[in-house]
Amino acid sequence: MAKDKSGLTRRDFMKGVGGALVGMAVGLPAPACGTTSQPGKSRVVLIRNQNVVLGLRRNDGDLIQRMLDEAMVSLFGLDTPSDCWASIIRADDIVGIKTNVWRYLPTPPELEDAIRRGLLGAGVSEQNIAMDDRGVRRNDIFRRSTALINSRPMRTHAWSGVGSLIKNYIMFDNPEDYHPDACASLAKVWDLPLTRGKTRLNVLVMLTPQFHNIGPHHFDEEYTWPYGGLIVATDPVAADAVGLRIIQQKRRLAFGEDRPLQPTAHHIALADTEYGLGNAGMDKIELVRLGWQEDSLI
Amino acid sequence: MRIPIPAVAALALSSMTLPACGAQESDRSLTAVIDLLPKQIDTWARGDSPLTYDRETIFDYINGAGEVYRSYAFGQVAVAVYASSEGLPDVTVELFDMGDPADAYGVFSYAREQEETGIGGGYERKGRVLCFWQDRYYVCVASEERTADSERSLEEIARAISEGLPPASEPPALVAMLPDDGLVAFSERFFHLHQSLNYQYYLARENILNLGPETDAVLARYSPGSTYLLLIRYPSERDAAAAAASFKQSYLPDSGDSRTAKTENDKFSSYNDSDRFVVVVLDAESETAASDLLQATVSGLPQSSQ
Repeated sequence: MAKDKSGLTRRDFMKGVGGALVGMAVGLPAPACGTTSQPGKSRVVLIRNQNVVLGLRRNDGDLIQRMLDEAMVSLFGLDTPSDCWASIIRADDIVGIKTNVWRYLPTPPELEDAIRRGLLGAGVSEQNIAMDDRGVRRNDIFRRSTALINSRPMRTHAWSGVGSLIKNYIMFDNPEDYHPDACASLAKVWDLPLTRGKTRLNVLVMLTPQFHNIGPHHFDEEYTWPYGGLIVATDPVAADAVGLRIIQQKRRLAFGEDRPLQPTAHHIALADTEYGLGNAGMDKIELVRLGWQEDSLI
Repeated sequence: MRIPIPAVAALALSSMTLPACGAQESDRSLTAVIDLLPKQIDTWARGDSPLTYDRETIFDYINGAGEVYRSYAFGQVAVAVYASSEGLPDVTVELFDMGDPADAYGVFSYAREQEETGIGGGYERKGRVLCFWQDRYYVCVASEERTADSERSLEEIARAISEGLPPASEPPALVAMLPDDGLVAFSERFFHLHQSLNYQYYLARENILNLGPETDAVLARYSPGSTYLLLIRYPSERDAAAAAASFKQSYLPDSGDSRTAKTENDKFSSYNDSDRFVVVVLDAESETAASDLLQATVSGLPQSSQ
């Protein structure tokens, strides 16, 4: 008899019950073939440039613009970045750009500017664009939004495993409601009236990702590295899954052993297997690599 | 070192986090915490407006990771920035009132990788952050930038704050009950809740060991291999027996009378309950290793201590 998912134990994951993706997410061995609830493949573009990072929180804005442009063209298969923006955004859209303001590793302002330029180029008026993080529920543009763009850096996180694109929407609701079981139900926040079906683009910032925590909430640049990447996708789960693998591989290299995240980032796998938000299995992800290939870790 | 709260109140808490013993206290206690941060430390001057956050507002300061503190009896944190008259980078000091010494140790142990002695009950320095625990307080001192002088600065400021706190305490008695033989240094983690266990070792989505605000638990790693030992103290012998039965049913139904089973990763897990305690061994290299560690732990437990 199938076991109720809420009662799953570590041993069940070892047996392959309850979704191999979740087993992988809790630090158990990867099976030969994962399972997923999503039909079709999700295209994810990983673009890197070895010169884009000038330091922690210091980046070459021109290169970021070029990286985003190239990634958009590859992701949507159109001739120009403008065509791509026009394909996902209408001139009469009201657009909220959900960023992340964590002071040690915020969404880079150079990327915020590049996104804003893309929206303006698609004909959206300045007054119909807003950028916000913690105030999205009070922000009139976000409350009236017809489209959302989601962007944040990936970092390890003491309560959810990693700060992910999926998690970036937690501010659209009462965050505490999503904290149980290492934020396992985060994908639910993508099904609120404020968010449902609105997200046109996700940009996971991997310029200087954080791969390890100091205590519950501290930060030191020692645990970041100049990866110089952006992960661009319409499927937030697929983008997060790629980013998570890079973080995990970096941890293996840095620590010389397979050290699982604490806590495990199972909210990403569950966003696929329990909530159907996107694809978390690499067998359902078409990964396109652009730019700098050395030490890509995936 | 549990917080004496009614069970009904505990159940009403969202996310099964712990209530703060000081939550009902007045502004007097907030002021007192701020006053534990000296206005002047050598050439460092405290900023004019230290901030305080309590169990409800902690998320305004550190987002979701605030749950780590709320999983203990955290009451409030005072945050102050110290500026150097010698042009050194600013230093931020956080002084957490964790409710009692056991929980101050608990949050210190939560992600500890190393430990040094000489400040409070022990301290750890990682990068440009130094954290220590002392009495009911957990203190973190962080330099805005890492410089040639920042290590010395952090220690000076930490020592000065330590001098103003009550004397250091011993780690919780439960930690001292762990067998010494094979214990991996600094691997002990003290906590109360199911989600804290899953942070350290993902056991199950459900709370199959009936952990809660009234339970004390310590998880530690043992060598050889990477064996985990979990020791839990329950409010009563009856609670311990119920938790052991729940664990057997959910995790080791195949353990039989030996209370040991080979798990799907070719390791061995075992459990037992004794008086108010439940002992669980996870991922031992052999059945004998699991049994030996279990017995070594059980034999060191106090009995009839209710």
